[in-house]
Amino acid sequence: MGGSPAGPVERGQHEVEDWERLADAVNGALGGKGLQTTDQHRRAIESLENYRDLSYYERWVAATERLLVEKGILTEDEIDERAAEIERRWS
Amino acid sequence: MVVTYGPGDRVRVVPAEKPGHVRTPSYLKGKSGWVEAVIGLFPNPEELAYGLSGRPEKNLYKVGFKQEDLWDDYEGQAEDVLYADVYEHWLEPGEGGTA
Amino acid sequence: MSDHHPHEEAATSPYAARIRAIEALLLEKGVITEPEVQDGISYMEARSPANGAKLVARAWVDDDFEELLLSDGKAAASALGMDPEHPAEFVVVKNTQRVHNLIVCTLCSCYPRAILGRPPDWYKSFEYRSRAVREPRAVMREFGFEPPEDVEVLVHDSTADVRYMVLPMRPSGTEDLGEEDLAALVSRDCLVGVSVPLAPDRPIPTDARG
Repeated sequence: MGGSPAGPVERGQHEVEDWERLADAVNGALGGKGLQTTDQHRRAIESLENYRDLSYYERWVAATERLLVEKGILTEDEIDERAAEIERRWS
Repeated sequence: MVVTYGPGDRVRVVPAEKPGHVRTPSYLKGKSGWVEAVIGLFPNPEELAYGLSGRPEKNLYKVGFKQEDLWDDYEGQAEDVLYADVYEHWLEPGEGGTA
Repeated sequence: MSDHHPHEEAATSPYAARIRAIEALLLEKGVITEPEVQDGISYMEARSPANGAKLVARAWVDDDFEELLLSDGKAAASALGMDPEHPAEFVVVKNTQRVHNLIVCTLCSCYPRAILGRPPDWYKSFEYRSRAVREPRAVMREFGFEPPEDVEVLVHDSTADVRYMVLPMRPSGTEDLGEEDLAALVSRDCLVGVSVPLAPDRPIPTDARG
């Protein structure tokens, strides 16, 4: 990343959304419980295949998910199921 | 044998390719600079990243590089510097450089 | 903040539902608790660039505090009632007539969150992370700032266990300003180093002239 050619720096700032605040908070809570560390989370972000396609907080959430599944705390299926339920409730 | 560096020591970033989580940026590999400061001992993040203890702790150094040594096309002053915080196992004793 | 959150509109990202799902499941399984999540939210809300501005303003009026800020950032932050607790070090680097500092994290987006809260979007962008190390002057120019010719630019890539903040120079023409007014001159951009504080546009009072 450092030193790679890149375009102008976009100066716009998006309003932080509630789900993004939640992403930070869940990470903090998991960290506080010793279930996840900054270094593990960074490694998980770096391992995302679609790293370049995701926004900052999308990477954040994807990495948290990856770690929780890796550690056997949650399964991908139950996250999928619950996420679908939530989206149904919203629409 | 573990080399311990002190401020002012010339060092070179080891040009190794290492799989997994690494906190030494590619753009510094093989580059020469100097130890600006000894930051302290920290658990190795490359191991922490996989849930290992990261111990024994490793020395972390603030290393300075002349920007003109890092980039062929650097546009700035000759004295412009880049600092990065580099772990001891990514450094080897250096020589030369333009300082 | 569980799935009883009212009026959650369909967010712009599919990850919104995923993190809500993750939160709900973790709460149900007792992995984390509601108060822990709330604490996490409050943690970030309590932190902002105003903290950095306070540190800078105090350093500008108090030499001993400046010395503390530069030698032990966390102790300085604690002295002003902040909670800087974090496994990483907090180091403040000083701008002078001869040097201008710029902070970046090329590897991710390390930033002194424990003091300043969330970094701006541009700091986390691929463009900033790629270019700040290689063409810092061009990047600063995009932010409308150009250090004088003879000033050295020092870029700090926060690659490991240190988080950096810049102590900008106090603008001239601010000799009669109190700490609060001084702090108001210090934007977040100044604390990262893409900009510098400017004196407010006001006439110099007669009794302060020459």
